[in-house]
Amino acid sequence: MIRTLIIDDEPLAASVVEEYLQNYPQFEILEICQDGFQAMKAIQKHEPDLIFLDVQMPKITGFELLELLDEPPAVIFTTAFDQYALKAFDAKAVDYLLKPFSQSRFEQAINKFLESRNGGEPTSTERISDMAEKSNRLVVRVKNEIKIIPVAEVQYFEAQDDYIAIHTDSGKYLKKMTMKSLEDALDPDRFARIHRSFMLNLNSITRIEPYERDSYLVYLKNGEKLPVSKSGYARLRQVLGL
Amino acid sequence: MFSKAFSSPSKANWVIQGAGVIWLLACILILLHYQVSFKIALTDAAVYTGLFIGAVLILDRVFSFYSPKGRNVILLLILPLFLSLIGAVIHRFGLQWFFQDEEEYYSFLQQHFYLRWAILALAEVMVTLLAIVVARLEQQEDSQKREIHMMELSREAELSQLRQQLQPHFLFNSLNSINALVVSQPQKARQMVLQLSDFLRGTIRKDLKAWLSLEEELSFLKLYLEIEKVRFGHRLQVEIDVPDQILEMKIPQLLIQPLLENSIKHGLYGVTGEVMISLKAFKEQNYLILKLTNPFDPESPSPGGTGFGLSSVERRLYLLFGRNDLLEKSSENSLFSIQLKIPQLK
Repeated sequence: MIRTLIIDDEPLAASVVEEYLQNYPQFEILEICQDGFQAMKAIQKHEPDLIFLDVQMPKITGFELLELLDEPPAVIFTTAFDQYALKAFDAKAVDYLLKPFSQSRFEQAINKFLESRNGGEPTSTERISDMAEKSNRLVVRVKNEIKIIPVAEVQYFEAQDDYIAIHTDSGKYLKKMTMKSLEDALDPDRFARIHRSFMLNLNSITRIEPYERDSYLVYLKNGEKLPVSKSGYARLRQVLGL
Repeated sequence: MFSKAFSSPSKANWVIQGAGVIWLLACILILLHYQVSFKIALTDAAVYTGLFIGAVLILDRVFSFYSPKGRNVILLLILPLFLSLIGAVIHRFGLQWFFQDEEEYYSFLQQHFYLRWAILALAEVMVTLLAIVVARLEQQEDSQKREIHMMELSREAELSQLRQQLQPHFLFNSLNSINALVVSQPQKARQMVLQLSDFLRGTIRKDLKAWLSLEEELSFLKLYLEIEKVRFGHRLQVEIDVPDQILEMKIPQLLIQPLLENSIKHGLYGVTGEVMISLKAFKEQNYLILKLTNPFDPESPSPGGTGFGLSSVERRLYLLFGRNDLLEKSSENSLFSIQLKIPQLK
């Protein structure tokens, strides 16, 4: 049996997937979830093989849900928005169904999933440069809670192995991602990579001082000090217009 | 051409013909003053005036169609000088031939040839300059009119474009819902097709500027809400509070719908569970006030931008009323409100 979840906030939209899926007896629908929070719990509980995922949903989007999962299942996106298609391939989705879709288009997606399951890698995961709009929030998981952090509240990011530590006014959070993807997602006018391991909110700077040869220290509003590398200092000067 | 420099063509004719008569009388008087006999003076003045008017007509024609630029500006001087020379020559030798026997007059003509040319030339240069000025003014007025017309057109186009920016995903999601209903609840699917058609027809109403009564606009909004309720099921609750006595008040078409769409979107995607959207309308002084409220989560910003819906409504309000203060946003206790003020035309 292939264990699946349907995640869509519109009950009728979920019922289309449910109806189409009845033609494939080897698929079992474990649950239909109406938002990301429910889906998060259901995924942890059932560990499904495949999810049908809507993008626009209450509170957190389908993409943000995926970011929260350590080992995301195979995903088929179902949405009325075609502007997310690139991002969906970035997220290594099996397929991307544009609502409303036909039974035969649905069958293609199912076959794609079955192939990728047998062959291992999904067929098209070519990474396309990320042109998506800059995000103004981050979604993290704290134990089993989902927390949405506005990027304006972030003081700085710190790389810690596979994780990024997000230092905010209200505390520190960990999220599994890379500095590179963070740099792509954030507005370069508000955040600067000042060091291999640090990315800084420009609003939290109070002053910058020379430290050793070719390196600097930046003082934050909360009193903390962060190292600035030579190239980081050049970037900082550029965004601050020094 | 000159006639256009005056407020009405008939007045212009009086002025222009009057000027001609004055010119003629002045010539006669001057000639009489020099002791020329009345018969000769009359003929001389008439020929002189005729030549002058002929030259004016030619100059007027030429320079109303062609206004020289750059190097050719010199034509403004050369052409009247040339015409006046021809005029002066015709005048002199014509009259000389006509009054062959008048010795005294003959020498008079000879003596004053250059003076006459000079007067004719001066007058014709002035006329030319005047013609050019009038032509330029007219061109300017034309281009101003065109510009105003263009602006009007682009305003219309922008208005209609703003109106038509019905979010396509609304359509696709609605079609998807219909797709779901077709098999399980065909009657309901049919009903939704009809509602969707009525709604779409409402969004492409022809007359851009027409205002609708609040009652008509509300029935259109209810159509929209029915569709959204089918899509989102029990999650979406809407409360409409509009007193009967203001149902006849007028509003521009399709201003509320994008706001309602915005409230629903932010309500439904901003929080989980059931969402109550409220729409209140009331009259305050000379304004119709509409207030839309939706719940939101003050802790988390929405993932996208601020929403296209609001800015397009703001732009439309500006195009309609020339004001930027008719749409107000406010938020308190996890409720977000938009207040729309519609000035009532008397």
